[in-house]
Amino acid sequence: MSTLPALTNPSRREFLKTSATGSAGLLLAFCLPAIASAADSPEQVFQPNAYIFINPQGDVRLVVTRSEMGQGVRTALAMILAEELDADWSRVKIEQGACDPQYGDMTTGGSMSIRSTWDPLRKAGASARDMLLTAAAETWNVSKDECSATGGSVIEHKKTARKITYGQLAIKAASVPVPKDVPLKDPKDYRIVGTKRARVDGQHIVIGEAHYGIDTKVPGMLYAVVARPPVFGGKVKKFDAARALAVPGVKKVFEVPAVEMPPLFGEDRKPDSGHQHYLWGGVAVVADSTWQAIAGRRVLTIDWDNGPGAEESTEKQRATLTELLKTPGKELKKVGDPDSAAASAAKTVEADYETPFLAHMTMEPVNCTASVRDGKCEVWAPTQNPQAVQETVAKAVGISKENVVCHVTLLGGAFGRKSFPDFVVEAAVLSKKTGKPVKVVWSREDDIKADSFHSVAAMYFKASLGADGRPTAWLQRSVFPPIGSQDDVAAKYGSFELDMGWNDVPFDIPNLRCENGEAEAHTRIGWFRSVSNIPHGFAVQSFAAELAHAMGRDPKEVLLELIGPPRIVDPRKSQNVEAFPNYGDPFETYPIDTARLRRAVELVADKAEWGRKLPPRHGQGIAVHRSFLSYVATVVEVAVDEKGGLSVPRVDTAIDCGFAANPERIYSQIEGAAVMGLSLARYGEISFKNGRVEQSNFDGFQVIRIDESPPITHVHIVPNGIDVPSSGVGEPGVPPFAPALCNAIFAATGKRIRRLPIGDQLAT
Amino acid sequence: MNAISITVNGQQHSVEVSPDTPLLWVLRDTLGLTGTKFGCGQALCGACTVHVDGEATRSCTTRISTVAGRSILTIEGLSPDGQHPVQQAWLADQVPQCGYCQAGMIMTTAALLAKNASPTDADIDDALGGHICRCGTYQRIRQAVHDAAAKHSSSESKSPAPAAAGGTR
Repeated sequence: MSTLPALTNPSRREFLKTSATGSAGLLLAFCLPAIASAADSPEQVFQPNAYIFINPQGDVRLVVTRSEMGQGVRTALAMILAEELDADWSRVKIEQGACDPQYGDMTTGGSMSIRSTWDPLRKAGASARDMLLTAAAETWNVSKDECSATGGSVIEHKKTARKITYGQLAIKAASVPVPKDVPLKDPKDYRIVGTKRARVDGQHIVIGEAHYGIDTKVPGMLYAVVARPPVFGGKVKKFDAARALAVPGVKKVFEVPAVEMPPLFGEDRKPDSGHQHYLWGGVAVVADSTWQAIAGRRVLTIDWDNGPGAEESTEKQRATLTELLKTPGKELKKVGDPDSAAASAAKTVEADYETPFLAHMTMEPVNCTASVRDGKCEVWAPTQNPQAVQETVAKAVGISKENVVCHVTLLGGAFGRKSFPDFVVEAAVLSKKTGKPVKVVWSREDDIKADSFHSVAAMYFKASLGADGRPTAWLQRSVFPPIGSQDDVAAKYGSFELDMGWNDVPFDIPNLRCENGEAEAHTRIGWFRSVSNIPHGFAVQSFAAELAHAMGRDPKEVLLELIGPPRIVDPRKSQNVEAFPNYGDPFETYPIDTARLRRAVELVADKAEWGRKLPPRHGQGIAVHRSFLSYVATVVEVAVDEKGGLSVPRVDTAIDCGFAANPERIYSQIEGAAVMGLSLARYGEISFKNGRVEQSNFDGFQVIRIDESPPITHVHIVPNGIDVPSSGVGEPGVPPFAPALCNAIFAATGKRIRRLPIGDQLAT
Repeated sequence: MNAISITVNGQQHSVEVSPDTPLLWVLRDTLGLTGTKFGCGQALCGACTVHVDGEATRSCTTRISTVAGRSILTIEGLSPDGQHPVQQAWLADQVPQCGYCQAGMIMTTAALLAKNASPTDADIDDALGGHICRCGTYQRIRQAVHDAAAKHSSSESKSPAPAAAGGTR
């Protein structure tokens, strides 16, 4: 959990110094610099804290300190501020926050933006409102208790029917001391939070004025593309730049060395032990325009030293993982005595599951513009992690991180790819080398081949049924190259991945064991939306349905029985489990509550009319998964024709994400998760041959288009009061989709999919 | 390099670029019209869609030399006030997530509606099947196309889109 930023009253000047981007609100483009409002001298702006600015004209500007990538975070965080501030929502303007330690950890990831900013934003808004109330009371010379905020950026004194606007109060409020321990608004008085709100930047998007990283233009800028090694870990042996330099507009062609960086995350960050190439290295072509750079790169001749990575292939890796899966892994969690229970089983059910490498394929390929000048570096980056940008760029350029200014643009999709600052470091290195601002654009092919991939995984399950037909023991074993291989090449076991739907498997089975075996990484492994919840959710929820089939019973009934009675499941109470990070938040606040899991299952089954009579060759499948502290259950209906053609006529998803801050974006995130879930399950796969990624564009790595998309996804939000804290929304919708889909395919056809993607497995 | 003359959003431009330069990069780098997006470079995703003489066209694979003298319309020029029925429907239905693919979607939809005032679901699939939205907004896109068609064909005056903030749906 991030440290909460202190509510201080930094000077306006200080803010301007660090916030060159941002600004702009509902009517202006987000890319306008905040300096546009520099007409406000420090004393003319009421700035009670680092999140709120009110000028005498009545403009209310709210600062958002997370990255917008479609999840609606600029809207949601501003809603929280505006609610406590009692601002006129229709007139607030939003600024993207500059990197500042007082905002705490500004990473956007782990579906934690709302819960990690909820307290500080409420306090910031309430504190500002209190100061405005004080200013109004002083203006009218009345008791503060008699003054109230109307919700329209106005304070009123009802007794005397007087009203005054926030703008009129701004100058006086600026001299009011920042109060301590201001009471927060009673949630029953909420007018904004908890209601469906349109996103603040929608208009910019539909008129083509939204500013993504790739749209950055700065004076004197050059454009670059980089030919990166085709094999992970490869290096340039030699290259011939003559033809590239002959292309009109090409300015420079030079080698970029690979740069290794210390690990980004984790407790034991060991400087310089990094394995991941933050910068792949390669040969850069710098030109006057993007196309000239691309044209120059096309005629480059490069000899690569591919290194040992050239021996790797998906075929080889699959064989290795399948072999590793046969032997017991490290015992992570043990309940009861699974071996004895297995020995006396009346019936045993076993299955292996496989999931592939995945690429992020954000619609905006990674790109960055950097300007290194006079010992400083300014970057304009579609990044999820501006503070990691500061650290890694500082190290690569050889300056202090305070001298790295990171402007966070809009992100044209991210899904975890843009947490990784390699592309920003690369732009900075190129700018330093050329002495000019440089925009580096990755082609789609660059983006896919040098991604930080979602890891491949293989999983084995064995369940024992007793004489009464009920499960007595459950074993689950996984092998996958871990994300930890980024930090340490020798890492072969999962770490935090195992807390994502694996060690926290919530089943009520008397004897249970979770294992993880070792696997080596041969490529760059990274975070992908939902991370390891994707393979774990797929395998656990598929196997639950397989068990139901073996028991000859309804999958939903068996799923509820496996979940068991309403209770709190604390993984720390099992043998071997020392800690359970719980997505960075206290277990006591966000326990694993099987009552909520059950409610999600029951709600979605009810809404989807589980078990209703379906046309021939149709089937329903169900799955539930807790991730990022939220509970999501999905029912998918499929139709599979005689040739194996698959369509998805209907999807129902129930989400319990605690208090729903902006239901509008929850609907959209869950609708989108169904489409991404279907894309991944049907087609998603990155494969390697001779160390090279075999896919290069959307023809090789297919994603669902409108004609294959479910015509409708019904989203059902479990109603919760504010007493149930908000939890993740961006990621939790994906994991239950694939198992619900494959369970539906089984119901329709009797064909069990145990390996993703489905590809042509249904073809007859 | 000879100058090539093109008309973009009603304005004539003379650009000095290599004749094989894709229209996309002329729009973005030369003319600064960045609303048209780069997604794949191979006409596989539709993010770069513009109108060339009214036809929805992938600008990433359209050489500038082939559009000399022709009329090009980009998202920036679709309507003078951002109130084209398609843009209004897109806002009313809160279609975009990350939004990066949406300019292309909107341009193809506008071209579709110009020819087919009330497209069926199959017509929509056919017109937009070449586009990709990685966030998965297809359900709302379909709804917005139908809503835009209704708005487009109705003789009523334009109903205002909800304010960017403050609206509910």
